[in-house]
Amino acid sequence: MFFAYDADQDDFRTSLRRFLSDKAPLSGARELSETESGYDPALWKQMSEQLGLPGLHLPEEHGGSGTGLLEPAIVLEETGRLLTSSPYAACLMASLAVLRHGDAAVQADLLPGIASGDTVATLAMAEVASPTGTTGLQTTALSRGDEVTLTGTKTLVEHGHTADVLIVSAAGAEAAPARLYVVRADAPGLTRTRQAALDLTRPVAEVRLDATPAVPLGEAGDLTGLVDLQCALLAAEMIGGTSACLDMAVAYAKDRHQFNRPIGSFQAVKHRCSEMVVALDGARAAAQYAVFVADQGSPELASVAPLAKAEAAEAFTFAAGWTIQILGGIGFTWEQDAHLLFRRAWADSALLGTPAAQRSRLADVIGL
Amino acid sequence: MDVDYPPQAEEFRAKVKAFLGENLPPDWSGMGGLPEGEREEFREQWRTKLGEAGMLAVSWPTEYGGAGLSLVEQVVLAEEFALAGAPMGSENDTFGIGMLGNTLIHLGTEEQKQHYLPKILSGEQRWCQGYSEPDAGSDLAGIRTSAVLDGDEWVINGQKTWTSAGHLADHIFVLARTDPDAPKHRGITFFLVPMDQPGVEVRPIRNMAGYALFNEVFLTDARTAKDEVVGEVNDGWRTAMALLGFERGVTATTDAIRFRADLDRLVALARERGLTSDPRVRDRLAWCHSRVEVMRFRGLQALTRSLAGSRPGPESAISKIIWSEYAQAYTELAMEILGPEGLAPTGQATGGMLQMPEAGTENSPLSWVETFMAARAGTIYAGSSQVQRDIIGEVLLGLPKEPRMDTGPFRELGKSRTTQAGV
Repeated sequence: MFFAYDADQDDFRTSLRRFLSDKAPLSGARELSETESGYDPALWKQMSEQLGLPGLHLPEEHGGSGTGLLEPAIVLEETGRLLTSSPYAACLMASLAVLRHGDAAVQADLLPGIASGDTVATLAMAEVASPTGTTGLQTTALSRGDEVTLTGTKTLVEHGHTADVLIVSAAGAEAAPARLYVVRADAPGLTRTRQAALDLTRPVAEVRLDATPAVPLGEAGDLTGLVDLQCALLAAEMIGGTSACLDMAVAYAKDRHQFNRPIGSFQAVKHRCSEMVVALDGARAAAQYAVFVADQGSPELASVAPLAKAEAAEAFTFAAGWTIQILGGIGFTWEQDAHLLFRRAWADSALLGTPAAQRSRLADVIGL
Repeated sequence: MDVDYPPQAEEFRAKVKAFLGENLPPDWSGMGGLPEGEREEFREQWRTKLGEAGMLAVSWPTEYGGAGLSLVEQVVLAEEFALAGAPMGSENDTFGIGMLGNTLIHLGTEEQKQHYLPKILSGEQRWCQGYSEPDAGSDLAGIRTSAVLDGDEWVINGQKTWTSAGHLADHIFVLARTDPDAPKHRGITFFLVPMDQPGVEVRPIRNMAGYALFNEVFLTDARTAKDEVVGEVNDGWRTAMALLGFERGVTATTDAIRFRADLDRLVALARERGLTSDPRVRDRLAWCHSRVEVMRFRGLQALTRSLAGSRPGPESAISKIIWSEYAQAYTELAMEILGPEGLAPTGQATGGMLQMPEAGTENSPLSWVETFMAARAGTIYAGSSQVQRDIIGEVLLGLPKEPRMDTGPFRELGKSRTTQAGV
């Protein structure tokens, strides 16, 4: 029994945290969000070439390090802590779709570029009426001989306006289940527009497909497992954000004096910080377990992923809201970082389905 | 990462399963399945069997007659007993074996160990706890019960309260003030006191669920011998805190099992009433499932830490808040599921308990209403949620303490309050 990150993983976390806080402090996030791409290509180059992050979990035959999913979860937790804007998460999720659903040929085609950081890939699944992008899709695939074209509109596509490759979900003809397709950035009929988003530090785009040529990603298969993987990993990322809120609130509560005392000495403030700890601790355990069973390929993920996502979302939104309250007036300003976390918390809470939607999924899985 | 128990723990599990299979009655569903009149007798006989099998005093070293189990083995034992719905000992064992026994083993004199441990183990002595007082609850160090040396005996005067199982006990460990001129934490001594004497009177307190599980204990010139002190005279706060450390024990690792069984009952309750398709009930049940899973995952973390050799620390405060707040939430959901049935509840009663019904209890409206009432206690006893949040804030996060208004000699405290009241 060893339900914890091991010493090597802790070392990896420590060095990554040092790297990110040095190269991409939270204070620079606002400015970065206003650039056209929404991320720093020089940082991404370092994350790819120097640290080999995008290939961590990918098989060695495709230029990766073959670590499994625990290390990517650490990366997400640390980038989530600093709201580091980079295509890491997008590439990770897209590559997992390729690994899960793609045949050998498409894997050999796409994964080496993702592993090296040269190809930015992303999932284009969500639609306004379908947060997971797996059911009730308006985007449809039309087959004519060997050619497939997609038509429809995707939303909240992470780095969708700059990605080189999009993995798009679409409904088949005559109620065939949704499946995934590969669309290249230069495909005809593709229009990509950066969205003015609630979350300033995760650039997203609307992607319109108008008879856009696409290549099926392997055989049709159930996409729920892919959603569960995304939920588990997004939960890990949210743990980072929740920790950042707690750190920010506690640091301020120790420093800020009113009534000739640090405000953290007042139970009204102290106890809210303690409640953040309780929420974070439970959510962290759930996220860790979700990533663990995801890494093991265990069927347990089907029940654990939705609950981990819901727990993390509720912890994060709770912590982000109270962080602003503890910071007081300064917490309500544009210059202070608290709102960046608050924005991320509420955006993440809705991505892939709200906590209530996750529990509805969970209720089905556990046979309620 | 892996979540497999070590092989020796699994070997031990097989032993425990075999013991339970051989010794529980064939149609066993849990204590709740026994007729009420037979429970106490069963509990006594069962305790004797546990003692003979070395499954009592699981946390004590073998040299003192304990089972000498590692923490992971204690967890395995608790898991298997919980799954089988088998009791682990008497109510007084919580205090005698779990708290006092472990405290004596760590801080007692050799004479105290030789004298008390066999009697606690055999059941010859039944212990209860004399900590809280009417004016010393969360502020335990504010106790006013006094002890004065008179020749070879201490003479103790004061009032203890919330003494669980005190009506079943014949011995009590008591915190009393021995130096009122010292600051409040420094003038306290930890005493062992026989209750079979004229100066000790036990009066039951009926709790809000209607059961008399705890008591007031009045000490009026109660006496105990000069050497019946654990730790040093005036250093009893250290003993008191060590004892509370043992109270935490293995609970973080077994919360999930206990609450899982009761959640299964709740789902059945909802299903019987056709409410599992109601969107709100469905959402809340799924939430309950999530919280119990969180307890399981945190238990695996706690077990991992203990296998690495670390003792439970301030994270126990997090566990306490998680389970006690969950207990209120899931029983409130039960009330919602019951609706009008909860207002004139029928069926089997629980017989009184502070957490959840004994295994085998009928899934009755009355059992749920009693569990719902009992759940209010969880966020108060063993350190209220507010005390736990102070611990998390101050010990884990390093937030500053409130300014203290209780420094200086204990004798002087409270005087300003009298003055202010007079203004």
